[in-house]
Amino acid sequence: MTAPTAESAKGATAPLPPGGTLRVAIIGNPNTGKTTLFNALTGLRQRVGNFAGVTVERVEGAFKGPDGQRVAVLDLPGSYSLSAGSPDEQIALDVLLQRDSDRWRPDVVLVVIDASHLERNLFLAGQVIELGVPVVVALNQIDVANEQGISIDVPELSHELGVQVIPTVAKRGEGLDPLKSALVRAGTLPLPERRFRLPADVQRALAPVEQCLLREGLHPSAAGMEALRLLGVQRTEPHLAQVPDLRDEVVAAAEKLRGAGYTPARLESEIRYAWIADVVGRTVTRTSHESVSFSDRVDRVVLHRVWGPLIFLLLMAVVFQAVFTWAAPLMDGIEVLIGALGGAVAERIPEGDLRSLVEGGLFGGVGSVLVFLPQIAILFAFITLLEHSGYMARAAFLMDRVMRRVGLHGKSFIPMLSGYACAVPGVMATRTIEDPKDRLATIMVVPLMSCSARLPVYTLLIGAFVPATALLPGLTLQGATMLGMYLLGTVTALLVAAVFKRTLLKGPVRPMILELPPYRWPSLWSLLVSVWQRCALFLRRAGTVILALSIVLWAMATYPKASVDASLPEEVQAEQQLEYSLLGRVGKAIEPAVRPLGYDWKIGVSIAASFAAREVFVSTMGTIYGVGGENEAALSEKLRAEVDPNTGQRRYTPLVAIGLMVFYVYALMCISTVAVTVREAGGGGVGWRWAGIQFAYMLALAWVAAWLVYAGGRALGFGG
Amino acid sequence: MSHVSLPTLHSTESAARTCALSSCRAGTRVTVVDIECSGDEACRLRALGFCEGTSVNVIDARDSMLLEVRGTRLALGAALTAGITVQPTAARA
Repeated sequence: MTAPTAESAKGATAPLPPGGTLRVAIIGNPNTGKTTLFNALTGLRQRVGNFAGVTVERVEGAFKGPDGQRVAVLDLPGSYSLSAGSPDEQIALDVLLQRDSDRWRPDVVLVVIDASHLERNLFLAGQVIELGVPVVVALNQIDVANEQGISIDVPELSHELGVQVIPTVAKRGEGLDPLKSALVRAGTLPLPERRFRLPADVQRALAPVEQCLLREGLHPSAAGMEALRLLGVQRTEPHLAQVPDLRDEVVAAAEKLRGAGYTPARLESEIRYAWIADVVGRTVTRTSHESVSFSDRVDRVVLHRVWGPLIFLLLMAVVFQAVFTWAAPLMDGIEVLIGALGGAVAERIPEGDLRSLVEGGLFGGVGSVLVFLPQIAILFAFITLLEHSGYMARAAFLMDRVMRRVGLHGKSFIPMLSGYACAVPGVMATRTIEDPKDRLATIMVVPLMSCSARLPVYTLLIGAFVPATALLPGLTLQGATMLGMYLLGTVTALLVAAVFKRTLLKGPVRPMILELPPYRWPSLWSLLVSVWQRCALFLRRAGTVILALSIVLWAMATYPKASVDASLPEEVQAEQQLEYSLLGRVGKAIEPAVRPLGYDWKIGVSIAASFAAREVFVSTMGTIYGVGGENEAALSEKLRAEVDPNTGQRRYTPLVAIGLMVFYVYALMCISTVAVTVREAGGGGVGWRWAGIQFAYMLALAWVAAWLVYAGGRALGFGG
Repeated sequence: MSHVSLPTLHSTESAARTCALSSCRAGTRVTVVDIECSGDEACRLRALGFCEGTSVNVIDARDSMLLEVRGTRLALGAALTAGITVQPTAARA
């Protein structure tokens, strides 16, 4: 497959065809504001994070150049170097060496550098400059650097690097126009190349490796970069296996260098940092030296041995309590709105099946899910705030000790925390974990973290069956129950990860390497954008999957029509019709499987229907109980009042409700999560195998745990 | 085009006064002498600017360590810091 660069190197120097698209790849260290710059350039908004490697999806955008030319931009994952350690960095390397499966070949590479951490950032920039592709450097966060008393001689830096250097402040949109012009101009300038000369004996030793890469069609400059870089790489990167003789030549070169008194593995970093020290010495002046930074002062408290974990727990408690209480007025508002709308629409439709479809299927189904939008927005706002402020990496650091017992390291806690919002970005965030087994173990347990789709189920059941008794100031029994569900999921996730790491994914505990980014005030705008994106996703789901399922379920609950005795009370008629309907029959067939858990066929049907998406449980219950244009409170009321016709006892006791919540804590009921696990666990057969294991163990866990709660509770006398 | 000089390249540090990074206390300033861990991890550390000859401030030392490296904050797990040999250069009062 590797016959990459010759052709593209030619393409890079040739002027672009008029009207052609200029392709720009953006790369940079994590936390350089790379994604913010990408957003500012393209206007395309996406999640911006502050912990290592939030940009895990492939995101492409476009803008119009100064002379109206179309410029396509690809945001590459944050990388510290081209020596791919994580799947994230591998993606970036593949694109830059034109080895990615899409063959997306950048005409220009934009390297984003954090001006306040110039030294570390120049390592990656130095490598990219040698790729044989036009390069532009954006010197971002120049304002932060200036505040810290760091002044950078930009023309001199540009001279030292041999490329255009443009100072920018991405979050305020400063420097964008010069940057756009520079990107368009870059192709007309001579190609950048290595800015230092290797010692002669090193150059001689590496020559055969370079020859090997040149024969593969690499640009001479890129071949030189790769030869030096491969000395320090232990892992088998794809091209080491694919390029003939390459591995042998690298081993031979390393041997020769050792003979000359060098340590091959350190050679690249020694040489590059020696060059960087030189560049920094010539371009950077420090006017003041802050001894203890703001971040350090905050960390003294936040990472404190005693206060740190307490603050973390307190934060989590505030988040969940807020989700439960702050959202309430908004939810009531939406309920009233949907109720009024549903009533108004239904009034205009004559009595009959169509009216029932609109009331029960549309407003009852979709409406009962829409009510939860405020809670989801608040939860996402908090999670995004933790990410953007830089706290997420601190949580990982605090959790490292616990995570090590489990057999993972602190970094695995970041995807798990994201899982509170949604398992899909959580699973994708595992790409920053270098070890494949650690990564798989994390993927397997991320869906155990209670995501926002479980909120509607918890809220409905807690609202209906748990009294709002005050426990502590600001914390009610309802809030505590919610916190309990989240804790249950979290603790189980840790235990299950420990089991995986000791059985199917046995391996050593990898030590943590984690950068703690400086604390930053998150920009309100990017926070709102992130929350809006998640809400839009939820609304789209409500408008598509949940709407479709609601209509199907309504039809199943309505047909075939039973011949009911019209003299019976309306409630009984409805009950008889439901039992006679297709949905009723399906429910009766499922009932034996859920009977030991204390559920009747109605819950059975709702569980079965919610395997596509958990929220559907609530909409199904809404449809079954025909709460139509009414609201969640009405559904709670009906659930509480439901009586078993045979025994005359209440059908749904608090015990059943708790058992049901526990079932939802554990069960993997989300098509999107299954799909993302298949892809991230390796795709194809391997991916499906892991997704299958994940689905099966979670279902088994859900059933057994719900049974334990119900049977155990009854044995202890909590049956009532 | 500059010629790079490699100050630490051929020098063999005296074994005296060196110790494991994990044994250093908060407030110590050290120079990295040798990184002994799996190749992958050494490679990552070096890319992060943590390489032989680098000056490092120990900010917090518990079982994992919080370090200042080239103006950035790095958290390293205990298994790593035990395998890194350093030479203390100064201790903060």
